[in-house]
Amino acid sequence: MLYRALHPISYLEAKTVSEASEICFSYNGTASLLAGGCSLIPLMKNGALKPQVLVNLATIDGLKYIEGSRSEGLRIGALATLRDAEKSLAVQTDFPSLFDSITQIASVQVKNMGTIVGNITEGTPASDVAAMLIALGAKLKIISPGGTQMVPLDSFYVHVRKTILRPGDIIEEIIIPPRSEGTYTAFLNLCKTKEDPAKVNVGMLVRIAEGVCAEARIAVGAVAPVIVRARKAEGMLQGKKITPALIEDVAAAVRDDEGVRPITDIRSTAEYRHEMVEVLARRALTKIQQKAVH
Amino acid sequence: MQKIPALFIVNGDKYELLIDPHALLVEVLRDELGFHGVHESCGEGDCGACTVLVDGLAVLSCITLAASVRGKSIVTIEGLAKGADLNTLQRAFVTHHAVQCGYCTPGMILSAKHLIDENPHPTREGIKKGLAGNLCRCTGYNKIIEAVLAAAKGGE
Repeated sequence: MLYRALHPISYLEAKTVSEASEICFSYNGTASLLAGGCSLIPLMKNGALKPQVLVNLATIDGLKYIEGSRSEGLRIGALATLRDAEKSLAVQTDFPSLFDSITQIASVQVKNMGTIVGNITEGTPASDVAAMLIALGAKLKIISPGGTQMVPLDSFYVHVRKTILRPGDIIEEIIIPPRSEGTYTAFLNLCKTKEDPAKVNVGMLVRIAEGVCAEARIAVGAVAPVIVRARKAEGMLQGKKITPALIEDVAAAVRDDEGVRPITDIRSTAEYRHEMVEVLARRALTKIQQKAVH
Repeated sequence: MQKIPALFIVNGDKYELLIDPHALLVEVLRDELGFHGVHESCGEGDCGACTVLVDGLAVLSCITLAASVRGKSIVTIEGLAKGADLNTLQRAFVTHHAVQCGYCTPGMILSAKHLIDENPHPTREGIKKGLAGNLCRCTGYNKIIEAVLAAAKGGE
């Protein structure tokens, strides 16, 4: 009898997204989807997840793509890996803050295996990639047995490791809207080591038109059970010229946002996270303001 | 639970066998095919000891479901040397004393191979980043980086 780290499962390979969706729906919550396996397999090993069936998505053709540009927006297929994104010219040149959020996480091996969709579906509020995608206004195309729906990523999370996905729902792609003229972005985080998940992170997008802020999205991670949109701070930017005084006020508003309720855990303390979310927000907005001037 | 038929191409040789659907790649490579150079340490994808190349990409065999890489080409540390003739990276690790207990070494060398295959002339910083997913608890990393730099220059 050979040692096995995982409990016995049935293993199925899907050929299309709708087939995978039908299979998962028919198992009514006892089936899990497998793509890179970087989240799923460790969760199965420690007993946090006990699916009876694994449905492999990696056998579906045509889902491993990253396509688009600044003017068209970006489409990221369900099987595109973190490494694919890191090496994508469109990501590097047209969505540099998304590149920043991806290139600094995990190891080469994890990036070779792990998909972008898998990273954001795990549902950790510390996901750097998810925070930046929320700031970029990303939407998810979700295939269900009943049809297709588009869901903004900022309404995707319910709680830690809990999303709106129901059995049979499959994310086919991530869609990032085009970046209009005058759009600036920034991503920043704080980690114990480069390999460690963030203590706090912030993704930010600001569009400047005629010298004033016409649009702002601020996403902060690892400060609540889900990634938080700092909407009050976003509102303060609307229609304003970004001055040093406004940057201070906006950063304080991010810290004081009612959604920002950090906890103390192995990576940091609640107090430190609370202080640092203001610091990161200030630095990110300063970075954006400097880019906008030059 | 029914076993499933699988074909793996390991270090260029074909192996056909029946595998458990829940078997991990490290378990099949070590316990069923005898590639004991594949080491398992943390078991959760953090340490890199179990690194192998699958279709040329460095992956972690301790969190890879064996069934999901059926038909693919796998390289383990046993695939680098030709008989007693070590490959350049292996020789460089010996010359630069980049090995102490040796447990991390197979994964370290395969990550280095992946790095050099992608970028034949890595910088010191590039090597640090490329090997960040492989932990060594004995030698420190300087000798390992020296070995990879030397191997990338084609020497020992």
